[in-house]
Amino acid sequence: MFIIRNKLNFLIAIIFLSSCSSMNITEEKVNSGDVKTVEAGSLNNENIRYDSMAVFANATIYFEFDKSTLTSKSIQTLKSAVNALNDNSSIQITLAGHADERGTREYNLALGQRRAENVSDYLVLNGISKNRITVKSYGEERPAVTGQNEESYAKNRRVEIN
Amino acid sequence: MKKIFLILIFSNFLLSELVLEITQGTEDPYRVALLPFKGDVDISSTLNKVIKNNLNRSGEFKIFDSETLLSIPKDETEIVFNDFKILNVDYLVMGEIISEGSSISVVYEVYDINKSSKVRTSTVYGIPNKNRQLGHYVSDGIYEEITGIRGIASTKILYVTQEKTFNLVIADADGTNEQILLKSTEPIISPAWSPDSKRVAYVSFETGMAKVFIQDIASGKREIAIENSSQISSPSWSPDGRYLSLTMYQDGNAEIYILNLKNKNLTRLTNHYSIDTESSWSPKGSKILFTSGRSGSPQLYELELRRFNSKPKRLTFDGNYNAKGAYLPNNEGIVFVHRANQNFQIAIKYFDENFLRPLTEAQMDESPSISPNGNVIVYAITDEGMGLLSGVTLSGAKFRLPAKKGAVREPSWSGFLR
Repeated sequence: MFIIRNKLNFLIAIIFLSSCSSMNITEEKVNSGDVKTVEAGSLNNENIRYDSMAVFANATIYFEFDKSTLTSKSIQTLKSAVNALNDNSSIQITLAGHADERGTREYNLALGQRRAENVSDYLVLNGISKNRITVKSYGEERPAVTGQNEESYAKNRRVEIN
Repeated sequence: MKKIFLILIFSNFLLSELVLEITQGTEDPYRVALLPFKGDVDISSTLNKVIKNNLNRSGEFKIFDSETLLSIPKDETEIVFNDFKILNVDYLVMGEIISEGSSISVVYEVYDINKSSKVRTSTVYGIPNKNRQLGHYVSDGIYEEITGIRGIASTKILYVTQEKTFNLVIADADGTNEQILLKSTEPIISPAWSPDSKRVAYVSFETGMAKVFIQDIASGKREIAIENSSQISSPSWSPDGRYLSLTMYQDGNAEIYILNLKNKNLTRLTNHYSIDTESSWSPKGSKILFTSGRSGSPQLYELELRRFNSKPKRLTFDGNYNAKGAYLPNNEGIVFVHRANQNFQIAIKYFDENFLRPLTEAQMDESPSISPNGNVIVYAITDEGMGLLSGVTLSGAKFRLPAKKGAVREPSWSGFLR
């Protein structure tokens, strides 16, 4: 039998031994796995200027689950938004689409975008210049209210006009 | 018929914010005697705990402590194989910690009791103050020796937490050793590891709309993937790391593109008025799996990349919501989010079967991510309004990585790191 004095001898002994058996011998090093923490740049949101915000056209349009079509109620709301935009031809608006928390985050991001695009299409069809409109989506990331029930979900499936 | 027994283990780690809880183990586990490693007592106890937890979490092992054994050999010469055979122990693991100054290493041995012989001798060289990592490497060696499958204890998980800020966090596969990659006042979603696990891609809303960023983990250096005015999301790395598939909203609608990371060329993959998003690559990089609303509800489709003019092929037909899919590493099937009645659950569909198999049964399970060895799926759950991470093995074991504060979501499993 071998008397193990130090690791190197031990290892040599093992390698020697293994040459006549099917034993696995491995040697490896632990990775350092260094991680650097950074902070995201401060928000530079040119699209929403809260001081000159389009208060006249401010509105929220609501949607059904997994749907991006405008309801008749939504169209009533949008009609007054069109009037406000026609009366104040200098204001720019942002349409931010949102989804409720059910379903996957990326699909909801796309769904929020579709909702906002549909609102944009309605406004453009009714004579508002596309240049005045910025469209974007927050998906399910910015809920208006929290809560796991249909009442909350309904409030979160929306397009905010600002 | 597979028997399932319940193991309940709660272990609090001093420095961690996550608790490991194994809620379910599998049938007929490997029976392994794990002796305390010789050498420094504190390090030995840490290693023992880490190794035991890792093997237990896989759901495939039953670990025998010293107290439950008939004899405790100090070295190879003292092993009485019959004492282990009587207990139906399959394997014996023993080892030694060698610390000289700040350098530390472990030599461990695995014995096959039924063969009455040593089947493995391994040395792992550690790093100062990273003894848990050392334990993860040893666990993976043991796991590999016994199961023939690469271990995942030394891999990492990336996820998003929301407290006062949104944080992109990296942690060991057992939920410990959390480190923050990015802090932001705006949402972060869809983190994804590069195949070499040195960089991550993710979606950040810090500029006011969704944009894909790429960040180097070690240096913290980050860049925006595509500089344009369009909303961009859902990044996925090609297996060779040279391309990123992503969703771009250039013409107002979600469409999938492939970005060549070297020359920044964009190739458009989809062109449909419905939503196309959540792309991910097949293990060999020849196919792209994605979610599309083209049938009227979200369903999974795949597209052959190497065939000219190929059309998306629909893969899911059960129910009206199947999304966020990923291929198993062996390309035998896909894992995705499926809606059954009003519940969202994680499901798997093997290509040689024409039905799907639900893996979870909660109400709001999402964001499945598959371990690099294909054996475990980590996913996000909602429990009483709180976001937590949970895991399920394909053999049926389940565990949870609950958060003590804030919401945890969007897990993404790294590749092999050792």
